[in-house]
Amino acid sequence: MALRTTPIADNAPNKITVKELDFFYGDFHALTDITVDIKEKAVTAFIGPSGCGKSTFLRCFNRMNDLIPSARAEGLVSLDGQDIYETGVDPVDLRRRIGMIFQQPNPFPMSIYDNVAFGPRLQGVSKKAALDEVVQTSLERANLWKEVKDILGRGGLTLSGGQQQRLCIARVLAVEPEVMLMDEPCSAIDPTSVQKIEDLMAELKDRITIIIVTHNMQQAARVSDFTAFFLQEVAGDPAILVEYDRTSNLFTSPKDRRTEDYITGRFG
Amino acid sequence: MREAFRQELKDLKAEVVSIGKGVTDRTRDAVTSLVTGDVDLAEKVVAGDEEIDRRTLAVEEHSIEVIATQFPVARDLRLLHSLTYIALHYERMADLAVNIARAAKRTAGRRGPQTLYDLIQAQGNLVYRVLDATCEALETRDVELARKLQDLDEPIDHLYKQFFRELARLQDEEDIEWASSMVLASRYLERIADNAVDIGERIAYLVTGEFEALHSPDEETS
Ligand SMILES: Nc1ncnc2c1ncn2[C@@H]1O[C@H](COP(=O)(O)OP(=O)(O)O)[C@@H](O)[C@H]1O
Ligand SMILES: [Mg+2]
Repeated sequence: MALRTTPIADNAPNKITVKELDFFYGDFHALTDITVDIKEKAVTAFIGPSGCGKSTFLRCFNRMNDLIPSARAEGLVSLDGQDIYETGVDPVDLRRRIGMIFQQPNPFPMSIYDNVAFGPRLQGVSKKAALDEVVQTSLERANLWKEVKDILGRGGLTLSGGQQQRLCIARVLAVEPEVMLMDEPCSAIDPTSVQKIEDLMAELKDRITIIIVTHNMQQAARVSDFTAFFLQEVAGDPAILVEYDRTSNLFTSPKDRRTEDYITGRFG
Repeated sequence: MREAFRQELKDLKAEVVSIGKGVTDRTRDAVTSLVTGDVDLAEKVVAGDEEIDRRTLAVEEHSIEVIATQFPVARDLRLLHSLTYIALHYERMADLAVNIARAAKRTAGRRGPQTLYDLIQAQGNLVYRVLDATCEALETRDVELARKLQDLDEPIDHLYKQFFRELARLQDEEDIEWASSMVLASRYLERIADNAVDIGERIAYLVTGEFEALHSPDEETS
């Protein structure tokens, strides 16, 4: 229930709309009948027991699942009202608009500077001043600038895990994405970096839409405006979206008994 | 870990129910001391207040500790927060019972018209019922009973008003200090019942998760 001066309005625009989505890995039916509207410039958290399809669902938003043979999505996923699975959509462009952060930080084996400048260079930015500017701004937004401003030439992989994760965030931010997907971004890093990442999320949501998968329910409660709870009720059956609501409602007065049982630790 | 947490919630709730029962007993003793002029009983009620204060504080401290360490959510959070809220209400009700006991001490040497004692006793009997209902509704998570507290409160307000009318009929030679002490006692009983209605609303919230429209007490009469 991220503390903010004004809560996201009920009529805030939807950034991503999902309608009746089913997802399959070959014969395995992983998700069924998911319908959800993701609000623009808000933080939305996905919670649920491990294996219930949170990462799978997240990867539907930037078509990362396309890379898995036999994987198949049915239903509608749209970004700003446009179906992202339409034939005309370029997945590479889509992944620029919708960046992704993974559980394990994965900086490229190059300098801190080059990591952040990588995307802008691909987009054709080549002037040093322009690159310097975007590198600094992105590192500032990623809450890492102060720690690395004097060592920009050093290898990204020499940083601590938590710093590497923030470097990856800076790398994503450098191409000005509209949405940032974060799949358990804090699971493998130190508490100070966790704090810094939670802080930067709060600052970033003035500009972008964030979706975070987290197994840490306190984190979901702290950082998100909306929370979606997923559950695979019977092993082998597809998972469903049990409840989706404002985080402040879901963590105080959940409407579904299964949500209640999960968040209060009665199972899972 | 979670099991121990569950047990703590249960213990804390049992403690608040027990405080509620203690307040019911004290209210009963206070009214009895007033109606029968029993100074010793009134003294006992006054002396017992410290215990309720201490136990209420302990509930609050314990609940803050659990919130800080266990991150309760949903029904657990509603329960913990509501228990503190309810305990504080009970504590205030115990203070009101003490005020009634003080009135008993002030008036013990004198004897006024029996009708007024009867009215206070009748009002007291209704208040015990309301208090019992708060304890039972909390113990059993009974939303219907919790919501009924408002209805149970109504006749108590009526008796308070009737008390005023009876008082107006008193002759000039009646003892003014006696009369005003009795009015205050009736007023305290009415306030105890108002607190009980608040507790009822809180119990409904902790069970349903919905805040229901808060009742506003009748216009202040004194
Ligand atoms: N590449 C894949 N191929 C086949 N099955 C997969 C693949 N990735 C995930 N799954 C299965 O899909 C289900 C959901 O997985 P996942 O989305 O990773 O869950 P979560 O992120 O909630 O832990 C699991 O049963 C998992 O084994
Ligand atoms: Mg996952």
